[in-house]
Amino acid sequence: MAVRNSNKYDRQLRIWGDQGQLALEQANVCLLNCGPTGAEALKNLVLGGIGSCTIVDDSKVETRDLGNNFFVDWESIGLPKAKTVCAFLQELNDTVEAKFVEESPEALLNSNPEFFFQFTLIIATQMKEQSLLALDSICRKRNVMLLIARSYGLTGLIRICVKEHCVIESKPDNAINDLRLQKPWAELKRFADELDAEIDDPVIHKHIPFAVLLIKATEDWRKTHAGSLPYTSKEKAEFKVSLASKKHGEDEDNYKEAISSAYRVWSPPTIGSELQRVLDDSAVEVNSSSPDFWVMVAALKEFISNEGEGDAPLDGTIPDMTSTTEYYVTLQKIYQEKAELHVTALEARVKNILKRIGRDPQSITKSAIKLFCKNARNIRVLRYPPLEDEFNSIIGHELQKLLEVEENSNATFYVLLRGVDHFASSYNRYPGVFDDELEEDAMKLKTLSTTLLNKMIGGGVGGAVLSDDLVSEMCRFGASEIHTVASIIGGIASQEAIKLLTRQFTPLPGVLIYNGIDSTTSVLQLKSFA
Amino acid sequence: MDMQGRWEDIDHLLLRQGTLVGPEFEPCAELRESLHNDLRVLVIGAGGLGCELLKDLALSGFGNIDVIDMDTIDVSNLNRQFLFRMHDVGKPKAVVAAEKVMQRVKGVKVVPHYGRIEEKDDEFYRQFQIIALGLDSLEARSYINSVVCSFLEYEADGSPALPTIIPMVDGGTEGFKGHARVIIPGVTPCFYCTLGLFPPQVTYPLCTLAETPRSPAHCIEYVHLIQWGQERPGDSFDADNPEHMKWIFDKAFKRAEQFKIAGVTYSLTQGVVKNIIPAIASTNAIISAACALETLKIATMCCRSMDNYMMYMGTQGVYTHTLSHEKDPNCLVCSPGVPFEVDSSISLQKFIELLLEDPQFKDKLSKPSISYQKRNLYMQAPPVLEEMTRPHLNSPLFELMEKAGGTLNVNDKKLTGILRVNVSFRGHNDTVMDMDTAGGG
Amino acid sequence: MINLFSLKQKQKEAADGTGGRVPVKKQSAGELRVQKDISELNLSKTTFISFPNGKDDLLNFEITIRPDEGYYMGGTFVFSFKISPIYPHEAPKVKCKTKVYHPNIDLEGNVCLNILREDWKPVLSINSIIYGLQYLFLDPNPDDPLNQEAADVLKDHPKQFESNVKRSMAVKNIRKFATY
Repeated sequence: MAVRNSNKYDRQLRIWGDQGQLALEQANVCLLNCGPTGAEALKNLVLGGIGSCTIVDDSKVETRDLGNNFFVDWESIGLPKAKTVCAFLQELNDTVEAKFVEESPEALLNSNPEFFFQFTLIIATQMKEQSLLALDSICRKRNVMLLIARSYGLTGLIRICVKEHCVIESKPDNAINDLRLQKPWAELKRFADELDAEIDDPVIHKHIPFAVLLIKATEDWRKTHAGSLPYTSKEKAEFKVSLASKKHGEDEDNYKEAISSAYRVWSPPTIGSELQRVLDDSAVEVNSSSPDFWVMVAALKEFISNEGEGDAPLDGTIPDMTSTTEYYVTLQKIYQEKAELHVTALEARVKNILKRIGRDPQSITKSAIKLFCKNARNIRVLRYPPLEDEFNSIIGHELQKLLEVEENSNATFYVLLRGVDHFASSYNRYPGVFDDELEEDAMKLKTLSTTLLNKMIGGGVGGAVLSDDLVSEMCRFGASEIHTVASIIGGIASQEAIKLLTRQFTPLPGVLIYNGIDSTTSVLQLKSFA
Repeated sequence: MDMQGRWEDIDHLLLRQGTLVGPEFEPCAELRESLHNDLRVLVIGAGGLGCELLKDLALSGFGNIDVIDMDTIDVSNLNRQFLFRMHDVGKPKAVVAAEKVMQRVKGVKVVPHYGRIEEKDDEFYRQFQIIALGLDSLEARSYINSVVCSFLEYEADGSPALPTIIPMVDGGTEGFKGHARVIIPGVTPCFYCTLGLFPPQVTYPLCTLAETPRSPAHCIEYVHLIQWGQERPGDSFDADNPEHMKWIFDKAFKRAEQFKIAGVTYSLTQGVVKNIIPAIASTNAIISAACALETLKIATMCCRSMDNYMMYMGTQGVYTHTLSHEKDPNCLVCSPGVPFEVDSSISLQKFIELLLEDPQFKDKLSKPSISYQKRNLYMQAPPVLEEMTRPHLNSPLFELMEKAGGTLNVNDKKLTGILRVNVSFRGHNDTVMDMDTAGGG
Repeated sequence: MINLFSLKQKQKEAADGTGGRVPVKKQSAGELRVQKDISELNLSKTTFISFPNGKDDLLNFEITIRPDEGYYMGGTFVFSFKISPIYPHEAPKVKCKTKVYHPNIDLEGNVCLNILREDWKPVLSINSIIYGLQYLFLDPNPDDPLNQEAADVLKDHPKQFESNVKRSMAVKNIRKFATY
């Protein structure tokens, strides 16, 4: 388990913890095509310590690979690429089981689709639309996660294909602790009441935690404002001024903190729109085959309308604040105890629901429920529509929006990245692979892509939106796989793989388009998220 | 080592004309050859970013790469520094990294330098046309910035003199976040222009640590900063000594217990004391590749450059923001300074008088102090320095400036910043190339 | 933007044209800024500065404070300043080299002054720190103690504190007060 390699993995354990590492170590990842994009993606996962990887590729190492792939060498020319890349990747981490299958992904799709069922996650690189459609429907059947990565000249694209991805630990960067200062429960209120903010002792006065100062100030405010909270910006300013007036000296940090945290009183964390969408989802009507996640969401929904009185469970942690050790530790304990009560309440509801749907009431552990409660306000559900739907224009609206933003060429690249595949199926080669047909190919690509675009956005837009400069750059790229671009696309793919496997953080909610010319990215939202 | 077709992918960019390329881009085979044979690039740092940069540059067609790093390989590097193996632990990073890249990518020459960047002289840095930075400290960035900007000279019209510019490409990561930027000294902002982009380090008040600790980190920092000195006086603390770290952990654990604070672990102790920044392979790969791509663009102009700073955030979806930061026209490090021509015979005293009489300075100055590079020529305050530097007043400025023109730093209470004055001496035009920044005159 | 190949050409020409360049001695950002700070120092009659490494090393210096009023009147206290190459992004490191019985200075010379740590801002200067240090001697602050014993005595028995300070300055042996 993770502990064995805790030194080696120290820098990443600090991000996703033992549980995240364990999830990686249990993952079986499959890579389709091991050109630079695929090899780089897998490299990062092997370094991170996934359980096993299987490379599927039927090509042989050629001279051209020596110019863009780090995991082949001079001596391996003519040898199976999958075998070579596999051996070099294995060197990076001997705890990973690295395997390869010398076959083309397309052939496997036809001959042995069951092959793909054994994996936790498949990374499909440099594959054309038709094969991806087939792969997506196979993966969806067995809930195998699919990540698509494509590098093309100075551009690239990444998309996730997963029916449903539920995240408990989304770990948002700026999570704000739920302090309930505007509605303290009895224990918290008692603690606040017991501290005398008018005290003369300067040491105590400057060490009353800001949470207590705000609870007191809110109570005072309500008394003189018919029970309501500061609402207008004038009132908010007044509230702060009255806090400041209670300072005994300029160096009282607790008062400074109270003033800068006063917003917590009038805009406390609420049930955000993302959480509300999850609560309103039909999956909340759980049955015996519902995943644990949805059972807990069902319990959460009940909790909110009952003992939660409209709020999610308390996360139970408080930020650091100027205080004596004693006050701080006591306050910490008050929040923790309340949070534990919430866990117990939710646990009871989970057990009831499990009983109701005919499952073992003990089948969801207390520690799982605890983790869920701690993160309840930030749970996420992502659903990715079938690739077929994306190709059949559900992305149109989003695309049009992006195309309308001036100077943003990234939507054009999305169209062109699909255009080159259509070009390839019409002409059996990519545009711009031959030096002497560049101009001709550019015209053809533009025509094809314009048709495609009109189909996607339901007509109405002429070909003018596809910039000639970008069409001609796309032909210049000629299906080349530039190492640095492959490294960026592979890098992002591996990052998304880690998020999917660890079920931590939020994966891409749409199609990512990378533009290496300006070093920018755009994400095209897929309709079912809207 | 250029077997037929090896560079076919990159050749699409180097041999074909494009529509969104850099100025004066001329696609041709010589471009790739020159990239491989003539151009020299320096990679600073052979860690998480450095390993990736070396691989990326080698596979972008760069043939002459130098790499400098003072560190040896640690087991905690292995989750991302993919050129290193368990059996390499303890060896110099630069040496092993260079060896591995040369082994794998035939034809590329990587010269390792195991040592500190401060140990190299100017001539070392001047050999390179581009410098790629894979660093984790602001100090090192700031140092290399001052070296590279000191090479920068300006033309008479105030534009930067092209031959004196060494572009830098810089990357940095922390967990799922990172940045990549392009620094063309004199053209885009240098590190000093945008020092504010770096967040200040987290520090705790000493009295909190001593009297009102609240978090496990407070307990650890107390033992690290105060208790160690009290209980082990004379014994200098070494974060890489496991016994020292264990001692800090044990004492911090006891202290936390005493204050009823939970959460002191060995891992947290290391994290706090060594200020460990979490690091993963994927972010390093992304940021380094973005930097290497910009290096290729600057070297060949095969595509227009990023303008000029990209931040990357990977925790909630993928969000990047590419923005053009502004150069600080009065930057102490990269701005041109004001040209000022004087007779080579004048004394420092006379020079100060001239400054005070000159219409472009007289309203800005009252009691100017003058420094030349690291030497304080004349300090108006404090008295002890005034006394120490007073003898210089009668010396010829020409001698004090080592018989060359150059930039003097002028400090004065009336100035909000530092005034940079580019002195040239009448009748000594041949010294112009030795100047830090060559103004008019 | 710069075309590196034309750039290279120019560089070669430049190199051919001039011979041995005079190496430029680099100044760190910290040195540049501290030069400015020092040239603008405004020291009161109770404060002195010295440069142990001579006039050209401004990154290391000592400040001596001789309070002429308050508990510490008549004492001499030496502080060492170490300026980081990235000053003013980072505060100077200041240690008290004189053993002193003081609520905000411990026996290892650590000084609890907010602007030296959590409240440091690049707009502050060496002058601000010196004012802060002078103030510590005029008005020791028992509410933010680093030497708790001294703080307790100051708070509860100011007379006792005064005589402890006097004795400590006389006997130059502070350590025994630590056990008060």
